[in-house]
Amino acid sequence: MSGKRLAVVFVGALALAACRGGDGAAPQEGAGGIKVDIGVTKEACPNAVDKSKGCIYLGTISDLTEGPFKTLAVPITDAQKAFWKRVNDKGGIGGYEIDVTKYVKDNKYNPQIHNQVYQEIKGNILALTQTLGSPTTAAILPDLENSQMVSVPASWTSLWGFEEVVLESGANYCVESMNTVDYATDKLGVKSVMAVHLAGDYGDDAAAGAKMAAEKRGLSFENVTTQSGQDNQGGAIDAVVSKKPDLVVLTTGPTDAAVIIGQAAARGYKGKFIGTSPTWNPGLLKSPAAPAIKALYLQSAPWKAWATESVGHTAMRAALPGVTPNDGYTAGWVWAYPLKAALEKAAANKDLTRAGLLAAVRQLNSVDYEGMLPSGAGNFSASPQDALFRQTLIYRPDDAAPTGVTLVEEFFTGQTAKDFKFEKPCYQ
Amino acid sequence: MDEFLQSLIRGLGTGSIYSLLALGFVIIYKSTQVISFAQPAFMLAGAVLVSYLAPQVSFFGAVLVAALVIAVLALGVERTVLRPMVGKPVFVVAIITIGVDVVVRVVTNAFIGLDVRQVGDPWGLTTMNFLGAEVQQRYLVMIGTTAVVTVALFAFFRYSRIGLAMRAVAYDQEVALAQGISVGSVFALSWALAGGLAALAGVFVATGAGVDQQLWIVALKALPAIILGGLESLGGAVVGGLAVGIVESLFGTYQGDFAPWLGPNFALVAPYALMLLVLLVRPYGLFGKREVERL
Repeated sequence: MSGKRLAVVFVGALALAACRGGDGAAPQEGAGGIKVDIGVTKEACPNAVDKSKGCIYLGTISDLTEGPFKTLAVPITDAQKAFWKRVNDKGGIGGYEIDVTKYVKDNKYNPQIHNQVYQEIKGNILALTQTLGSPTTAAILPDLENSQMVSVPASWTSLWGFEEVVLESGANYCVESMNTVDYATDKLGVKSVMAVHLAGDYGDDAAAGAKMAAEKRGLSFENVTTQSGQDNQGGAIDAVVSKKPDLVVLTTGPTDAAVIIGQAAARGYKGKFIGTSPTWNPGLLKSPAAPAIKALYLQSAPWKAWATESVGHTAMRAALPGVTPNDGYTAGWVWAYPLKAALEKAAANKDLTRAGLLAAVRQLNSVDYEGMLPSGAGNFSASPQDALFRQTLIYRPDDAAPTGVTLVEEFFTGQTAKDFKFEKPCYQ
Repeated sequence: MDEFLQSLIRGLGTGSIYSLLALGFVIIYKSTQVISFAQPAFMLAGAVLVSYLAPQVSFFGAVLVAALVIAVLALGVERTVLRPMVGKPVFVVAIITIGVDVVVRVVTNAFIGLDVRQVGDPWGLTTMNFLGAEVQQRYLVMIGTTAVVTVALFAFFRYSRIGLAMRAVAYDQEVALAQGISVGSVFALSWALAGGLAALAGVFVATGAGVDQQLWIVALKALPAIILGGLESLGGAVVGGLAVGIVESLFGTYQGDFAPWLGPNFALVAPYALMLLVLLVRPYGLFGKREVERL
């Protein structure tokens, strides 16, 4: 074949590849008279339980190799694989099974890479069952909106409350920190608060919530930004030790938190630390900082830990036999429920197109989390103010518990969160 | 005064870690003219290895074995990945070391698993009285160990035949080759030494809160240290590392009181500010070789 002909064939093949399953594909009629467009096929999924069923492809963009949140991202992803397998084992949704194994991409927690891999898979998927991280997801947000790509975040920033395509679960960092400050004021009698947090919307969102609660409750408030890395916590430790606040609200990674707590305690600090769930890792209970952590640290959480007895938790543990208990699994499992509910709704509406799925999301006024979140959670039809989930739990470190934490305070809504007018993302 | 001494000891302690890492960078640079960006991965791998070995062979045994294993690993990397690149532009080789870093880290990450791992050191966060101030034992151990390692390294380069050969190669590779020195062995040995030092540094970092996959970032602090001290100087690496540690710690403790307008995290920038100041006065670092280029 001549070079010229080869080039023509190559360009033709490229054009074909570009057209296949691309955005804007015309809706077709699929199994059971359901309208479908992108990411839904008549052919069975690669590992189908029932080969006669079609396949709904969902994408996963997570931090799977060398990024900073790998230890959470891997269990989140594994839990979601198990979650959707359970859905398939129970007969799938609307004559389709769900595949979350074919389009799994690593973002290395880098917004550019996140966008790049998203572009690679977006023409082949109906929705994203996971888009991990706030800054990473922000990098693709306009595209998600334009493509009507319903997406499940793996993060809790308050921005998601205002994004129609984003299916968030549980209280956001902002509300969680409000509840933390209210809990500490009511139960521990604190009078001064310091937010020690990473820069970016994870830490900033939590710090904003803590500040609002401190102002409402008449407490003094200090804001300390830190960077991740064990060697970078000196400034935060010095701030805690010199200012001696009654409560430190922590939004960092686990080892950062352990360094801050351990070193501050070693230098005589005797106040309380309450950290958001990403500050916790069960391995910290074996660290040199463990005595300080047990004495001074509590953990706020958006939902109940791994070992809880509920239908959802039990199903999760059964679906993940032999794994080391980790609340990354719990998070991945919980986050998947709203998408399942939306897919079921869309299938019932006979419209599994992207637009159909988004329309189904707008009809969801509650999601059945099988007891993992209280009833009423998962409202995507109301305004952000009315839909905002405002409940938080408090845990304490416990050697005997499977994920190293034991419940001390059931789901509660603090005074600040109850009266909070949710009109914009807290950190803005 | 107590506060100052505590801050100084903390700074010297973390500075010792930076020094060990900087020594590794400088040893490789002197013999091969390449900055090896694989040091962070070796540091992480060393700490992870100790976390596995310590329950079996005690902490000290584990540190010894891990330093040796990582040294052999680094030597293996040099022989297989970098040896074919001898004579190629140093920039290319440096970029290859970034690739090595990523590969070693990703493999090591798989061994970290989901939980933060512990190295099982005997010091924990225990404090002791030192010249009237309560300081953490582990910082004193870091300072002492780094002092011993530095003296041993200097003795090695000064008195041993292979040490002499390494110095000769650092001066002039071709002349050293003409004198019958195996330049290849010197390259390999320098990588091995740097690997062992990185492993030791990794263990020291992990004594505070444990090993997670972000531990490697600490190694980047060695970069201002080596620029500060001078790329070719072992003494400069030690001084640079300690200076970075002390500046960071003292700024962390006092800057909030004396210069709050600099912002809350100026301590993290302070080593770089110091580096810039030194470079303004001494462009080749404190102990760097003054390059003479004839046109």
